[in-house]
Amino acid sequence: MDAESRFRDPATLFFQSDHVRRYIIASYWVLIALALPLWWKTTSIERLPLPTSEVYTQAQRKLEIPLEICVDSTFSSQIVSLRDAIRVAASYLDVHINTGQDCSMSSTLLVFPGYAVLPGEKLYIEDRKLYYPSHAENLASTFTSLLATKMDRRAAQYSPRYRLSFTLLNEDGSAGQVITGWDIQQAIARHIYPITSALGILHNFTIESQVQFHAPLAFEPQSFSNEGTFGLTAENLTVFINSAEWVLSSSSSNDPVLHFVLFVPSATRRPLEILSPDGTPSSSSAFLIPQWGGIVILNLPAPPPNTLHLTLPELRSSFSSFSRQLSTLLGLPRLPPSISYSSPSKTALSPWQVDTLLRQRTRENVMRSHDTLRSTVTLVSRIDSMPVDEQVQAQVQGSLKALNELFAYARNNITLNEMLAYSARALTLSSKAFFHPGMLAMLYFPTEHKYAVYTPLFASAMIPLLAAALREIAAWRKERREARDARVAENANVTNYDLKTDAATGAPVAR
Amino acid sequence: MLRTSLFLILLLLSSVFCLEDIKEEFKESLSIKSLRDGRVASSFSFKTLLRDAIPRDPQTLAFDDDDSQHYTLFPLTLGQILRQYAITELHLTLNAGKWDYDSWGYPDETGVGVGAELRAWMAGGSISSIDDRWQGVRNALAGLFCASLGSLNEQRTTSPRLSFPPEGALPDWGLPHELRHASHASEHVCTENLTPFLKLLPCKSLSGLAMLLNPHRIFDADWHGIGLHVLWRPEGVEVRLNVQLVSDPLRISGQKKQDWSFHSLFDRRVEKACPVAKFSRVSVDLPSSGLYRVYPEPMEVIEGKAYYDLKNNHEVWDIGTMWPADFEYPLSKLNPTLVPFSVRRNLLGSTQDRGQLSIVVTNNQQDTLQLLYLETMPWIIQFYLHTIRVHSDDVPRDDLISNMSYVLPVPHARPATFESVLTLPGRSSLTFTMDVAKAFLRYTEHPPDAQRGWDLLPAIFTPLTEFPNGSINLGRRVYTPSLLVDLATPDFSMPYNVIIFTCSVVAFIFGSVFNALTRKFIIVRLEPQKQTENSVGKNIDANKSNKPDASESEAH
Repeated sequence: MDAESRFRDPATLFFQSDHVRRYIIASYWVLIALALPLWWKTTSIERLPLPTSEVYTQAQRKLEIPLEICVDSTFSSQIVSLRDAIRVAASYLDVHINTGQDCSMSSTLLVFPGYAVLPGEKLYIEDRKLYYPSHAENLASTFTSLLATKMDRRAAQYSPRYRLSFTLLNEDGSAGQVITGWDIQQAIARHIYPITSALGILHNFTIESQVQFHAPLAFEPQSFSNEGTFGLTAENLTVFINSAEWVLSSSSSNDPVLHFVLFVPSATRRPLEILSPDGTPSSSSAFLIPQWGGIVILNLPAPPPNTLHLTLPELRSSFSSFSRQLSTLLGLPRLPPSISYSSPSKTALSPWQVDTLLRQRTRENVMRSHDTLRSTVTLVSRIDSMPVDEQVQAQVQGSLKALNELFAYARNNITLNEMLAYSARALTLSSKAFFHPGMLAMLYFPTEHKYAVYTPLFASAMIPLLAAALREIAAWRKERREARDARVAENANVTNYDLKTDAATGAPVAR
Repeated sequence: MLRTSLFLILLLLSSVFCLEDIKEEFKESLSIKSLRDGRVASSFSFKTLLRDAIPRDPQTLAFDDDDSQHYTLFPLTLGQILRQYAITELHLTLNAGKWDYDSWGYPDETGVGVGAELRAWMAGGSISSIDDRWQGVRNALAGLFCASLGSLNEQRTTSPRLSFPPEGALPDWGLPHELRHASHASEHVCTENLTPFLKLLPCKSLSGLAMLLNPHRIFDADWHGIGLHVLWRPEGVEVRLNVQLVSDPLRISGQKKQDWSFHSLFDRRVEKACPVAKFSRVSVDLPSSGLYRVYPEPMEVIEGKAYYDLKNNHEVWDIGTMWPADFEYPLSKLNPTLVPFSVRRNLLGSTQDRGQLSIVVTNNQQDTLQLLYLETMPWIIQFYLHTIRVHSDDVPRDDLISNMSYVLPVPHARPATFESVLTLPGRSSLTFTMDVAKAFLRYTEHPPDAQRGWDLLPAIFTPLTEFPNGSINLGRRVYTPSLLVDLATPDFSMPYNVIIFTCSVVAFIFGSVFNALTRKFIIVRLEPQKQTENSVGKNIDANKSNKPDASESEAH
């Protein structure tokens, strides 16, 4: 009994009482429960919600661009076939055909720009009016070839800005003859400006030019035995551009570049001809690389002066090739050869062509922004660790807004230029969102990495916590059971006194 | 609107008056010099002049860049960058090695500081600020030259007051021009920088003097560097591309001969002349004494230099010099000295937190010399300006330092710029010391290969001549070698070990505290041995009666 005098019984200390201990354990668990959301929030990446359902709804929508045609009553029999033909050829056009009015007055046309079909002596167009011989029956196909042509697959994708880069390449300037200059500015003014100024409502153009004095080919052109000519086969043309040696790219901006290369073969390798599939020299000396640019091979006459400056007349044929290539690359539809165009000014482009291009570009942009938006949303939903910040959200929303506005106003009288502007904005914003650099940030720091850092701490701290909690629960349950048993036993002591006395006789005691 | 129409008229006028391609001209030259220590210094220079052109006024950056750029000889890719960021003057050098002024003399091109150095003069007044354009031009040039110039960020950018005057002229647009300068000592120049460099030349490396630029030999040289310089003079915009190298014929040939030729130095010859070069001139410095032979026979010899024009003489493809005698290395110090002063710069002190910057400048001349001293330091080295001590031949002479200007560093953001003027009495040596502190870096701020240390930029000394009327004339810049500083560096292989170790300790402490808080203490009474049986029996009794007992329950 000495021990009792020296130590206090620990059971009498207040923190040794069972309920205080249980409070302590419980408070640990409450703290963990409260801290979990905080931990989750601070370690998760920022993923702002994207308007997913709106994007999917928008991507389902089909653009319908109104097209108003006023047909003179002379052609009333062809109206149905005309409407059907345009619908089949271009489903994105919403054709309205008016008839029975005086179509020569442009004010009767509701939607700008409206077109008019008038009877005429021969087939020709003037402004937005088509003069059609009244006896001809083929109005539908003429209209389709004018307004509902397919976009050329060789055309470059739409961009608000293009750089046109003209390069004069001397294959080997030190091999006897070198072209040291060209009248590039005059040639551009003569051949290129008419196109770029007419299409100024679609794109901004930056034009630049350079001359190079060494531009070796990456292959040996095929040599002909007769006449010392050299030939380029179709396979050669696919590897003609030697990007390792020619400095063609412009590095300073992100605008797409359309390259126009005037290639002057070395004096020892002249004339250089393009071969037809059957192996004979082709009449053309130009070829086009889809969505990239055009190349013209310039074979100079045989007894050359040592240095040469190309003058405007010498550049004429090359630059008319360039201008054709440029209009192809920009997707400008051609006028059918049967239609003659009498233009008030000297511009070669009719409003029919420009309008058709505007419609096609608008449609292309809408489809591309639909695709990009859908891809963005799918990508974000597919990859859980991809962050989505405010900028991306705003860009997706801005793109959607531009598309919604475009679809809302397409029914009202907005011009084709405004439609194109909306579609271009939608496209720019959607591709900015898709290529946003911030979306890549977390891909390099995967979730597993995070757990690898946290597990050593949390696992080892959780083990005593869990063990204590389980043991305490077990103890508590045992205590309860014992308390109940004790109560039962007490009752039994009182009521079954007689039974207990029977125990001495060896009979089992039922409890 | 008025501006646009005026511009159009100007454009029209200029196209009328500039009929022929005399608008642009290209000249190439190579100068070769035998050095005292037997090495050979070659310096290529390719100049393209865009006649009557003026740099872009930054105020026109707000307008759409619609005016077209048409070049024949001028590199288009460079022209685009210059126009897009409206750069008036630009200098970029990429060098490797230490230029030994004492035995090699002054280089032909002054910029020989080790690593990458970029500086640009730009005018303000545009929609984008000068710093934005500086960042843009850095990134554009980094892309053009495949060099890590993007790292020349604001942590390395300074604007020294005096040391870098514009080489050309600055047009007057009503707003002052500003200088941005940055260098990076640990940038290495290699083939990937030379290839895009050669593409800027009109004849690339396929004809003319540039045929000699063989990467195998250039980067094998003891010292090599390439440079790009764009400047404006009233006659037009000039682009100068240069390559300098110091090769060692004694090492290449394996003999005791100092002889060199194009073939021995570059393993190539000039086989074709560049068709568009106005001239391709080679100049050879003739030795001042001794027997030697220069071949082929020079076209003209002026003031100890032999000149050849490869453009108009189609026989000359290889040039060289021969000595009949073996080369003898000069063991004693040579007189006269090639440079008026020599510099030694050191960082003293062995600890990782303190050090002392020490500079010893020796004046080799009789006359008093004034030097403009520029020190740019990343913020990791902090100066204690109050500890500056200047000694001249071991006598304290604080009066020899003057015109100090100091731009404080901002940690993690801006380097320090210290500029001052040192005065050296004739035939004396001046010692400048200053205490510095070394910073303790954040974990993520260490570069790759952190144990190697940080390269500190070369200091720059420029002789200064002050005229009585107050105007100042700056001589040729002299770059010191770079320094290497050792900062406190953590063991980078440790993070996971550290995490796990820390976690174990934290878990251990947590477990102990937690146990202490939740442990149940009880007193176990130990009865004497003889009562054991009784106590056991008593315990069994107690169990039967369901009464909790101390000895049965254990500590939690």
